[in-house]
Amino acid sequence: MTGFLVRRILGALVILLIISAVTFYLFYAIPRDPARAFCGKICRPETLTLIRHNLGMDEPLFVQYWHWLVGIFAGRDFVQFGACPAPCLGYSFATQEPVFGAIVDRFPVTLSLTIGASAVILSFGILTGMLAAWKVGQPLDKIASASSVVGASLQIYFVGPLLAFYLVDTAGLLPRPSYVAFTEDPLGWFTHLLLPWVVLSIIFTANYTRMTRSQMVEQLAEDYVRTARAKGMSSRSVFFRFAWRGAMIPIITIFGVDLATLLGGAIITEQTFSLHGIGELAVRAVQNTDLPMLLGVTIVGAAAIVVLNIVVDVLYAVIDPRVRIG
Amino acid sequence: MTTVSWSGEQGTSRGPGPFLSVRDLSVEFSTEDGVVHAVDGLSFDVEKGTTLGIVGESGSGKSVTNLAILGLHDPAHTKIAGEIWLEDQELLSAGRGTMERLRGDRVAMIFQDPLTSLSPFHTIGRQIGEVYRKHKGASKKEARERAVEMLDRVGIPQPKTRVDHYPHEFSGGMRQRAMIAMALVCDPDLLIADEPTTALDVTVQAQILDLLKDLQQQFGTAIILITHDLGVVANTADNVLVMYAGRAAERGTVREVLREPRHPYTWGLLSSMPRLNAAVDEPLHPVRGTPPSLLTPPPGCPFHPRCDYPQLAGPELCFHQRPDISPESGHGDACYLTLQQKKDIRTAQIEEPA
Amino acid sequence: MRSHSRRYASVTAVLAIGALALAGCAKGGGGGAPDTAAGGSQKPLENKAVSAIAVGTADDSKGPAPEIPGAKSGGTVYMIDRDDFSHLDPGRVYLNYNSSVSELFTRRLTAYKHDDSGNIKLVGDLATDAGTTTDGGKTWKFTLKDGVKWEDGTPITSGDIKYSFERLFADFITEGPDYAESWLVPDAKKPFRDQYKGPYDGKELDTIETPDDKTVVFHLNGLHPDFNFTVAMTGYGAVPKAHDTKQKYDKQPFSAGPYKIVSHVTDKSLDLERNPNWDKNTDSIRHAYPDKFHMEFGVQAQQTTERFLADTGNDKNAFTFHNAVAAERVQEVLGNAEAMKRSVQGLTPFTTFYNINTKRIPDVNVRKAIITAWPAKQIQQIEGGEINTGKIATTVMSPTVLGYEPFDLYGKLKKPEGDPDAAKQLLQQAGKVNQTLVYAYNQTPTQEKITVAIKEALTKAGFNVVAKPLNPATYYDAIGPVDNKYDVYWGGWAADWPTGSTAIQPQFDGRLITDNSPNYTHLNDPAINDAIDKANAITDAAAAGKAWAAIDRQIMEQAAIVPEYYQTYFGLYGSGLGGVKMDPIEGEQSALDIWVK
Repeated sequence: MTGFLVRRILGALVILLIISAVTFYLFYAIPRDPARAFCGKICRPETLTLIRHNLGMDEPLFVQYWHWLVGIFAGRDFVQFGACPAPCLGYSFATQEPVFGAIVDRFPVTLSLTIGASAVILSFGILTGMLAAWKVGQPLDKIASASSVVGASLQIYFVGPLLAFYLVDTAGLLPRPSYVAFTEDPLGWFTHLLLPWVVLSIIFTANYTRMTRSQMVEQLAEDYVRTARAKGMSSRSVFFRFAWRGAMIPIITIFGVDLATLLGGAIITEQTFSLHGIGELAVRAVQNTDLPMLLGVTIVGAAAIVVLNIVVDVLYAVIDPRVRIG
Repeated sequence: MTTVSWSGEQGTSRGPGPFLSVRDLSVEFSTEDGVVHAVDGLSFDVEKGTTLGIVGESGSGKSVTNLAILGLHDPAHTKIAGEIWLEDQELLSAGRGTMERLRGDRVAMIFQDPLTSLSPFHTIGRQIGEVYRKHKGASKKEARERAVEMLDRVGIPQPKTRVDHYPHEFSGGMRQRAMIAMALVCDPDLLIADEPTTALDVTVQAQILDLLKDLQQQFGTAIILITHDLGVVANTADNVLVMYAGRAAERGTVREVLREPRHPYTWGLLSSMPRLNAAVDEPLHPVRGTPPSLLTPPPGCPFHPRCDYPQLAGPELCFHQRPDISPESGHGDACYLTLQQKKDIRTAQIEEPA
Repeated sequence: MRSHSRRYASVTAVLAIGALALAGCAKGGGGGAPDTAAGGSQKPLENKAVSAIAVGTADDSKGPAPEIPGAKSGGTVYMIDRDDFSHLDPGRVYLNYNSSVSELFTRRLTAYKHDDSGNIKLVGDLATDAGTTTDGGKTWKFTLKDGVKWEDGTPITSGDIKYSFERLFADFITEGPDYAESWLVPDAKKPFRDQYKGPYDGKELDTIETPDDKTVVFHLNGLHPDFNFTVAMTGYGAVPKAHDTKQKYDKQPFSAGPYKIVSHVTDKSLDLERNPNWDKNTDSIRHAYPDKFHMEFGVQAQQTTERFLADTGNDKNAFTFHNAVAAERVQEVLGNAEAMKRSVQGLTPFTTFYNINTKRIPDVNVRKAIITAWPAKQIQQIEGGEINTGKIATTVMSPTVLGYEPFDLYGKLKKPEGDPDAAKQLLQQAGKVNQTLVYAYNQTPTQEKITVAIKEALTKAGFNVVAKPLNPATYYDAIGPVDNKYDVYWGGWAADWPTGSTAIQPQFDGRLITDNSPNYTHLNDPAINDAIDKANAITDAAAAGKAWAAIDRQIMEQAAIVPEYYQTYFGLYGSGLGGVKMDPIEGEQSALDIWVK
């Protein structure tokens, strides 16, 4: 297991290196001079040259990339912004704040959003899927299947404001979504994020209902499930202990792939509910062509997906002993 | 000494009789293509401490019959009729809870492919132990000890370490031994072994069959051995039931059926089986044609499209009327040929194998 | 008057925002309608010239600021807006938005004082008066008031002022204005950083003298009779030598004003509370009624409009510096008499126009034909009408600039839809019928529509229009080079202080043409250059205003731009606040007079 983890982490680092290099090159190849952003209204050519130097942009691209890379581990000193201690992802061109700090600051929001939504997706999606599989062909199954089609065709920016209007504004059942630190007020954290979780998970949940149902039906026809029944295991135990585990393996695989999409959904959800998360940061970075921030968000996003995929792999090993590689 | 009673009597009252008695069992599946008549009016008995070999091609209804005994058929798509008596308990009308308590405890089953039939997610020890816990109310620790004991009993070396291994860490033969250990953990009265050796290589096959025999002698378990291999039956079983298209084609003791087979289908099976005492270049003669569709079984004798002798019995008979097994007990078969005709044909076959 | 957008400190980016679908400022700055039937309660669009700009006296500069009847102290004022302030270090502040908040904790030598009748006076802020010059604007003397202190209680000295100017030469201070820097070095023609590198290596700038703790004397390298307006920019705010944290000062400036920063979470919130060492008797422009300010960012214009209309909870005590009424809700707000009582509207210093590249279109008659044929009205309609855009402009200077004179050389107010026949005549005179015209524009849905209208109108007048779509992100990089290949392209401008020298000179002084300079028309007319020099030397503000208005007319005679709009601001605030006013210098809401009811 340790060897497996070490190998996966090394592989992940290589992937991140490649992503960062490609992203760096792509972003910095944009025919736009970020130095203009730091130049006063009447921008003198000599000021522009000075700023380019201050930002380290007067050097060849690969040298800039190298500095960026070194900065992550050793920190950097920018004339324009001052010292940037490691891990340094540079300073935002738009807000002049350290990129790493900005991301760390907003990370809990997006993490809470993603984890909460994942919990809703997995618990609710799997639960309804299993109920449907339990009662294959019966009304419950048909309702679950039909609602999964409806759910999958809904959009966050449509459902979000709609639910907010009914649940928050009209009924007052939930507080207006915002981020409350979990460490300060766990209950507040939960109630304030519940609506975003539900909205973000709606389109995914349906899919998981459908997948769980078909996987369960498939697993229930497996030989080992028949064996379990032949042993006298109760239907419930056969269903939940034996078939369930088999069904979870493809679900986890798909979930690993969906994580990236989920992060994408988190961006839209943050916009919909004015949550100050990584998504909002990313959207603003794009709007402002804020290269260091864009690069930082991209790398952190990629790292998050890579890490979560390692977690998924570990989860795999926990559920399926066959993939426990030494 | 084993006796097989072939009572044809119907009824609900039942005195002291055979240990397991299947009476006029019919199983029908509804599928998208139509109704499959998997088992049709089948009756047989099994006594304690004896082995009944059920032989037939794939789709002859042998596995379905035994799943019905355990109640493992899918109730939503299956129509079942007849009676199955386990001592004084009728199984087809028993409730779900009764069947759950029965399964794995009094009646156990071994399946063909031990790799897919064992859960890949749990250790061997746990899979064995949970049966014991379920039926005997044992603690986790007791169950584990019992699992080790069972692994030892079925001849798995180092059972104390192997108990914590997963099925994928076992070889094929080991897995089947583990399967057997799991089936026997509660000392069942009846063990149904569905092609237990088909997926194994020949040397392992023999070991497993020997193991079953040994265990039977020790505990007096009744065994139903389902196989398509008459060789296995010859070595292991006391009685034989040959099934064709969901019906009994022939039954009797191993000696009777193998020495003096009466049904043309049994002849076919025997001649398609290699014999050690035959010449190496002697060709095998599989039964010609293909097994009948159970969606629309042929009228009359279900074997007639593949039979070489319907004319001898008179064509009208074989094509239009379904033969019943006779006599009602002892060595019987379901064929319109006279005993003399059967004897002549058999003798001719043995003298000059075609 | 700062530039009027807030993304980046450079006006190029600023203009780009406006250019993006003319959305940023143009749309957001929509003002009230003078003549619609939307509701009876609204005031007419305020489009009057701010002719009442004057230099105040020492008396005007004396604190405290005159009490507002009914106003009271205490409470917390909330501010909701889209963006966080990009800079707090005065030296790096250029945008109006940053300036507005900076007023609360930064003090400069001079500042603007508004009275209720709309008059604006330049008065002393830290200085006892608006400064004095005895040699026509080459030497300027300021005397500091008694009792002005930093937030730690130490007095603000002339040395601090000198230091504040010196540090502007440092290599990291690049975003703010650099007028004073280039005037304080020996040679105005050479890069100022080549002549002085800032105070951090121990060297002083000897053109600033501090004969005593209260007196600062500036020796400029030329005549700058409006230097006292220049130092009213937040960019020339005071920074204490003892607390200068260099780059980090941008996040945590040291207060000289009535409030100090308690916490600042980038992009989320800024909290201010009273600075006990500020003495209201030293300050003639800041009332500082509230005890605290809580500012929240990341709220889009749609949301602020929504929240102000709902007017519940803390939003009752909220205003916004910059967010205007969302364009799609302007009509609704105009019809809402209650909300209109809580609205501010007025002209901003921001103007928009279409540059004509005079290097590529040297024939003035062709340029006149472009203006004459221009479909101003069609464009305004595409952008949602006057309510959303402001009034159609006909001059270079905005009515907010001292000396502004209205004139309409090309009859754009009479025929706002364009006069193709008259334009064709002009083209025929020039012998340039079928003249090819390359029109470069930001590729956005609105701009696409506008381009169609422009193409249609100019084609009718006899032009052969070639439309070149540009990527909005790199728009200014494309039109920046002097040898760009485009004939007509959109732009915008706001004067840095309300005189013609910043409204006109940077854009139309032919001697300042370089790549990416604000002279996007590349106009280089000796007569105009000469007139600019003369106007710059006039010490009397009113006389100078007249001279700049004359240059405005000269430029329009040269037909260098097609003026588009004088932009207006139209915003709301909560019902719990009093004293929320429009700041015509910054073109948005002012925090200085606000009080909690």
